[in-house]
Amino acid sequence: MIATYAPIFLILVLSSLIAGAFFTGASFLGTKKPTHEKMLPFECGSESTGGRHVKLSVKFYLTAILFVVFDVEAVFVYPWAVQFRSLGWLGLGSMFGFLAVVVVALIYVWKKGALEWES
Amino acid sequence: MGLVFALSPLLIIAVGALLLMMAEVFFKQRNGLALGATLVFATAGAFAGSIWMVGVENLPGIEALSPWLITDRFTLFFDMILCLGGALASLLAGGYLPEHNIDRGEFYSLLLFATFGAMMLAGSGDLLTVFLGLETMSLGAYALTAFRRASPRSIEGALKYYLLGSFAAAVLIYGFALIYGATGHTDLAGITQVMASGKAEMPLMLMALGLVFVGLVFKVSGVPFHMWTPDAYEGAPTPATTYMAVAVKSGGFAMMLRVLLTVFGDAQSMSWSSGWPPAMAMVAVLTMTVANLVAGRQESVKRMLAYSSIAHAGYLLVGVVATMRSQTQASAAVMFYLLTYTVSTAGAFGALILCGSRGAEAVSYEDLAGLGRRHPAAALPFALFLLSLAGIPPTAGFFGKWFVFHAAIDGGFYALTIIAFINSVIGAYYYLRVLVYMYMREPAAGAPVAIPMKSGYVTAALVLSAILVIALGLAPAGTLDMAVQAATHSAG
Amino acid sequence: MNLAQVFFFLCAAGTLVGAIAAVASKNPIRGALGLMVMIMGIAALYLGLGAQFLAAIQLIVYAGAVVVLFLFVIMLLGPDATSATDMRGLAPRVLAGVLFAVTGGAAISLTIAVSKHHMIPRVGPDFGGVDAFGRELFSTGIVPFELSSALLMVSVIGAIAIARGKHGGLPGELKSADEIRASLAAQATSSEEHG
Repeated sequence: MIATYAPIFLILVLSSLIAGAFFTGASFLGTKKPTHEKMLPFECGSESTGGRHVKLSVKFYLTAILFVVFDVEAVFVYPWAVQFRSLGWLGLGSMFGFLAVVVVALIYVWKKGALEWES
Repeated sequence: MGLVFALSPLLIIAVGALLLMMAEVFFKQRNGLALGATLVFATAGAFAGSIWMVGVENLPGIEALSPWLITDRFTLFFDMILCLGGALASLLAGGYLPEHNIDRGEFYSLLLFATFGAMMLAGSGDLLTVFLGLETMSLGAYALTAFRRASPRSIEGALKYYLLGSFAAAVLIYGFALIYGATGHTDLAGITQVMASGKAEMPLMLMALGLVFVGLVFKVSGVPFHMWTPDAYEGAPTPATTYMAVAVKSGGFAMMLRVLLTVFGDAQSMSWSSGWPPAMAMVAVLTMTVANLVAGRQESVKRMLAYSSIAHAGYLLVGVVATMRSQTQASAAVMFYLLTYTVSTAGAFGALILCGSRGAEAVSYEDLAGLGRRHPAAALPFALFLLSLAGIPPTAGFFGKWFVFHAAIDGGFYALTIIAFINSVIGAYYYLRVLVYMYMREPAAGAPVAIPMKSGYVTAALVLSAILVIALGLAPAGTLDMAVQAATHSAG
Repeated sequence: MNLAQVFFFLCAAGTLVGAIAAVASKNPIRGALGLMVMIMGIAALYLGLGAQFLAAIQLIVYAGAVVVLFLFVIMLLGPDATSATDMRGLAPRVLAGVLFAVTGGAAISLTIAVSKHHMIPRVGPDFGGVDAFGRELFSTGIVPFELSSALLMVSVIGAIAIARGKHGGLPGELKSADEIRASLAAQATSSEEHG
């Protein structure tokens, strides 16, 4: 079981080694001449204002949660698609029943204007 | 065909909800939605009733869905209670939402899908569907609580309810996972079998019992897991409060009866020395006492009713404890109590809605001063439902309490019954206080008073509950017989 | 110690580090990233158990979507909403965690020590693959699968109900989110002045 995934882990280890080597190499080999001006926070040439984070609109939240819901729905479709032939009519019917509900949800979301950004 | 018929209450709710949603967005329907939702609930309830009449034993092929969904008389009885609660809540919403300018159609879709979850919960014979149903019901209830989203109180209540509710759900599913580890089954019948054969891993099972117990008590808001209830109930729009007090609580008790009496229904788990009944009795005593004492000190009538619903959960838990000795009688008493509690509580909240209008809501006791003289038509139903909640004959609430206390005495729980009785006397104090304000006080000069609203929907809900309160109070025998049948034919 | 055990202990250690970072970190964004590390560790543990499909879902849904949602919410509330120094109820919280861990650990170790029966049925080698998962889901699990659509539906409607639509506050209450924020800020400054 583990042997099947050995190449993946090899790649993971290799890539983190290479990335780490670049970072440490840059910080050791690069020359650093800090001056007062260089150490100031830089923001498009002007003095920075405000906090570190921006406040996002609640619309992002709605979009994100709708994404999660339809993401979960898509997850169910993968195993169904893989087994499509062997599941027969029962499988087709059950997936259609499930998708019908999700499509109604999509129409509802759409007509409610929850997908519109400007409103 | 028998299968479709047996599933029809659930199917009607689901299809009805989808159709209503489409009607809402395509025809921009507003006013008809409450009526539509009520009709869907009524049809589903009627179908549950007709399956009851036909008899589940006469329907071939309904085992095809077990253990996921079980259609027995227990399920059908709860289906009817839940549909009644849903119908009353949507009628109240039909008057309340336009009056307070939060008339959005999502409310009815949420009500319908939450009820779908509650009915799934009542009919589930597997821990997986128990959890699915519970989450469907709870998510709907969280969203209903936060429905008035510009109100900080609504948001605060919803946030508390959501965070604590999610935590309780996590505790519950941890318990379910341990049950699976201990028995290798998630279906209730299979777990019962393994428990009976003595092969279950008892250390795991005991830990599971503790976790499941906490999760269940939380969902029916028993003390000390009730902290979310007053804030959630007070912050939510009143029809949503009604729905939570009535349907969500009934769903919680359906789950409690089903899970505790099957999975933990063996002789050892149900014994006084080494099982859950003493813990449950402790929770029942705490719930009744704390809720009644705090309810008496409230100034807001809505918050008082929230505490009163916690107190009623305490009386119901007395019935759950009594299942230890006489399972059928005590579960039947709990189910009958839930029905009487549903009509009385929905009526009381409905009357509170009727007593206020926009800008002149009935909030505190003072708001209601002199209402009996100024608006007798609004005060009279309020008085009836409060008497029923207090358990005064000949209302439904009297027989609900009578049967639960009777079951407790028959089981030999004398101390518990005496505590419950003392508590219902304390409870009568704050219910009657409303009557005193309505009929014997006059508002102070210049003080704001509640002005009743006019709504056919709310009136219809009140008439329906009033008829049921009086009918169940005068002739409880037939309904009690149904509850006994439901308790006998449950899987437990 | 064989390769599988090395793998298990590595992933378990990563999961624990992520979990501790998620609850102990003062910066909520670091907390969310700790959660992400924990989710990835759990996905790797699933992989070690041969549950490939579950591992993939864990990454797609939790690491891909849920953590992003958390980050959105943290951004939405802004850095001011963090209360890193909130020590109220620390003792009961720690006590509850310890109690939970001790009883759970005791029950599980007791079971391992005295277990006579193996209640959980053994599964075949292909059990966790997407083929076997599909067969299982669309034969024995078809009823809960259909019912789960109601759960998805209720979350969609709930999200719309809370995040959209016109406001409707109680009379005499604050009307808009901006006003609420302004009043909260005013409270904060006044409490700072007093404290």
